[in-house]
Amino acid sequence: MAAFLVRRLLQMFLVTIVAAICSYGLLYISPGGPVDQLLGEHQNSGRNRISPADILRIKQRFELDINLPIRFSRWLTGWPSGPLFGSVGTDWPVGCAIPGQVRLRYPDGRVETVEEGCQQAVTLGDLVGRKSSRGVFFGDFGVSQVILRDRPVIDLIGTRLPYTLYLMGGSITLALLIAVPIGVYSAVKQYSRFDYTMTTIAFIGSSLPSFVFGIFAILIFSILAKQAGLPFLPSGDAVGTRDYIIPVLGSIQAGSLFDRFLRFLMPCGVLTFISLAGWSRFVRGSMLEVLSQDYVRTARAKGVKERTVILKHALRNSLIPFVTLLAGVLASLFGGALVTESVFNWPGLGRLYIDALSRSDYNVANALLLINVVLLLIGILITDILYTVVDPRIRLG
Amino acid sequence: MRTFSKRSGAGFMLLGLLIPTLAACGGAPAAGPIKETVVVVQTAAPQVVKETVVVAQTAAPAATSETVVPVAQGEYTTPHPILGDLKVRQAIAYCTNRPELIASVYPFLDETQQTGLLMDTFIPKGHWAAATTGITTYPFDAKKGGALLDEAGWKLATGDTVRANANGDSLSLNFTTTNAQFRQTWSAVFIQQMATCGIQIVPTYAPASWWFGSNTGLARRDYELGAYAWVGEADPKGSTLYSCNQIPLPSNNWEGQNSMGWCNQTASKAINAATNTLDRNERIKQYVIAQQEFTKDMVSLPLFNRAEAAAATNRFEGFKPNSTEYYTANADSWAVKDGDTLVLGFSQEPASMWGTVESSASLRTAAYLISTPGATQYNYDYQPVAQKAPFPTIESGAAKNEDVEVKADDMVWTTAGDAAALTKGVEVTTADGSTVKYDSGTLKMKRLTVTYGFIDGLKWQDNTPMVKADYQLAYKIDCDPASGTVSLITCKSFGNVNFTSDSAYTITYLPGVQTPTYYLAPIGAYPAHQVIKSDGNYKGKTLADVPAKDWSTLPEIAEIPMGNGPYILEKWEKGQSMTFTANPNYYKGAPKVKKIIIKFISDTNQAVAQLLTGDIDALGPETLGAGAEVKSVLDAAKKGSIQAFTIASPSWEHIDFNMFVK
Repeated sequence: MAAFLVRRLLQMFLVTIVAAICSYGLLYISPGGPVDQLLGEHQNSGRNRISPADILRIKQRFELDINLPIRFSRWLTGWPSGPLFGSVGTDWPVGCAIPGQVRLRYPDGRVETVEEGCQQAVTLGDLVGRKSSRGVFFGDFGVSQVILRDRPVIDLIGTRLPYTLYLMGGSITLALLIAVPIGVYSAVKQYSRFDYTMTTIAFIGSSLPSFVFGIFAILIFSILAKQAGLPFLPSGDAVGTRDYIIPVLGSIQAGSLFDRFLRFLMPCGVLTFISLAGWSRFVRGSMLEVLSQDYVRTARAKGVKERTVILKHALRNSLIPFVTLLAGVLASLFGGALVTESVFNWPGLGRLYIDALSRSDYNVANALLLINVVLLLIGILITDILYTVVDPRIRLG
Repeated sequence: MRTFSKRSGAGFMLLGLLIPTLAACGGAPAAGPIKETVVVVQTAAPQVVKETVVVAQTAAPAATSETVVPVAQGEYTTPHPILGDLKVRQAIAYCTNRPELIASVYPFLDETQQTGLLMDTFIPKGHWAAATTGITTYPFDAKKGGALLDEAGWKLATGDTVRANANGDSLSLNFTTTNAQFRQTWSAVFIQQMATCGIQIVPTYAPASWWFGSNTGLARRDYELGAYAWVGEADPKGSTLYSCNQIPLPSNNWEGQNSMGWCNQTASKAINAATNTLDRNERIKQYVIAQQEFTKDMVSLPLFNRAEAAAATNRFEGFKPNSTEYYTANADSWAVKDGDTLVLGFSQEPASMWGTVESSASLRTAAYLISTPGATQYNYDYQPVAQKAPFPTIESGAAKNEDVEVKADDMVWTTAGDAAALTKGVEVTTADGSTVKYDSGTLKMKRLTVTYGFIDGLKWQDNTPMVKADYQLAYKIDCDPASGTVSLITCKSFGNVNFTSDSAYTITYLPGVQTPTYYLAPIGAYPAHQVIKSDGNYKGKTLADVPAKDWSTLPEIAEIPMGNGPYILEKWEKGQSMTFTANPNYYKGAPKVKKIIIKFISDTNQAVAQLLTGDIDALGPETLGAGAEVKSVLDAAKKGSIQAFTIASPSWEHIDFNMFVK
């Protein structure tokens, strides 16, 4: 077991590095970004014109003038933050502040100016005094570049995490509590009216995207219900900003526990429904497989009570594959639900991630990606260990 | 063992994939295959390519190096075989039924509203510089368009659907625009309209990152017909778009935005005169000339202003959305029918409350609540607010534009729009308006001196009157590169700044600075007396003691700044809301609405839902936009449950004709 853990932790470390390289690299090579936005304004005349010196400073702020591998190393470990061992490599180039330009003159007289080489390089010596994080490895995700400008990413994540945790925690728990009994009951009563109904609902749940449910839920439970004078649910947000009156329930105080609960209902309901659809199908399938096993028939033949056969003999065995499915729970618990959070304006990490991507806040997006990777890996590790608990035949090592 | 080798194989494959990717991302751009055809490489310093060319001979292909014959013909100097002909361009204009294009994207507008969006020139209707007479208009007339094409030699043979010329070439054009759904919708109608006239259009819906990329698409003139939008401003500018020396070419490193390649001397002279004079009447005259030439030559077909919608609940009084001003600009005159709170919905949260480092619409809209702007910008013009009326114009006597002599090494403003010491080769505009390259001796240039005055009674929210030190602090911080400000161009244009009293300062600009909006005060104010209460190095000190580099992280600046506007920012819950309360020390007296809350709602559907359920009271045009959600808002307004406004956005769609081929 110990050897297994050591090996797995080592593998996890390597996978994390590779994943970090991929996510970091992909994010930066994708087109757009702060400089492209500014370049659009580059030639505008007047007071807000952007000069080459301005672009240079913006590049410096986002570290876009440093070569990607060096930038990555600074982000991951905070190194290099200046010359090595005090003064070695002060003039080693690590990036390019101003790209060189060459004019190409073709034999037919055409002239073209292209960027080539580097006019003014950034050296290790130039990195001294630049704001930089201590490195992700040491728990410092740096500062937010756009969303919460110049303030620590971890603060930003900290303000959003509680909302994501209680939304995702609530919906996952609910989904588990409902999915397993539905799956078991559908399997036991295969081809019954209940089974058909549940199958249909599950298909709808897994084939329609979450925002469709979200928008329908808002339309039905908020807008139409309110217009019809019925009790309605607030359409979004985690906390209200001012008091409101709901028919039957009366005046709801903004920020009260009840206000929070009402606002939690719809996003939680939608997320629960979506997880429920998939999970109940999974439990049903795995339960059906177990129910057709010889030992279940033997148990029934011995005269064991049907209830015991299902709960003790079949259910426990059918849950082994289900454990695999739960590996991702930890990551989704912290990762939040990207689309659902946006639709319901839930101030969680999922919405933050979408925001970070659309506004080129590299540090925030990278931090969230990395945290999710690590949590997913931990989730898988826990699943592997859980296997030994639910299935004594499995030995790790 | 087999497993091991498989794993290492996979590892090598992964490394093989990663290393070239990383190599491609980092480092300087590699020389492309084009370098093989280089005969003479001239290295130049960036941005001053024309002046400081250093000739360096490199290894050139032996066969061609001795036979270099400079030819005047370069890229984009050969007229486009179809679009080079004025008749074809005019025919396309006549064949375009613009009201139909508008109806395709804004079906929810009635006919009058749709007609209100039509654009005829490059300046929106109602703008002070818009030409009303003498311009050529192109009302939809397919017959006239067809006749022009016939005249140009593009005939439609019986049974054919596409016109062809005598050589048998068909009248087919590439049409490039972004893949935004909005543009795909109206361009589908445009393609149909062209087909009716016998013009075949081959559309390319490219990602915006390519179309607007710094060295792709539009910037490289890589199109025949290209559609995109410009944003109209109170100052129409336009010199980089339409003057002859702003045609992007490979030889000038693609500087300029005149991607059509339009060079009409009359228009070019007029547009340069309009952007280089300070006399508004003269500017109007010159802009009219430029617009007349622009429409006559039909180099770019203006289509329509985009529509935007804004909406508010019925309890909100004084909601006044405008094309060119943020709707919070009149927050001090808002009222509410019941209760004392208004909730505004914002699609984006400001990154910081500090306007020096952040310029988004969300910040500007929020900042109006806590600050008194120097001037507002309603209806494409400026109105003084904190600045004393009238504006310090030359006519008012508060500004003067005198001729001064400049000599070598004096700081001047160059024609390229930057500060520089006057040395040999520096290009400047002289007092008589001509552009010269400095050689030696003295030159006469225009020097602008403006005294900006502010109204009396302006106070900070803690009831401290605004003083000279506040303006001085703003000058010191906003002009310091360490503050992280995006552009320093305004600061660089100052020659001398003199803070004369608690409500006025005088700026002597560098010789050559002729900004048409010179009468707008460029320096704001910060509460220099404010004591820092947040933990950190500066606790207990005043704002004036904090160096510029730490301003962007200082909570007293970035999060809860002290202001002089109608409201006080009390609380900012990140990702959720901002709470403002009425400022009792506002110079006009405390506003009627006691509390304003800004809620951040990134999803427009959600925002509309909250407006309809009464959770929020207003959605500005920057949040509501003109998407599918607008229909439900307008429907609700028809029923009387909310108030909704459709306004012509300053953004306007147009189709550019690239008149030259690569």
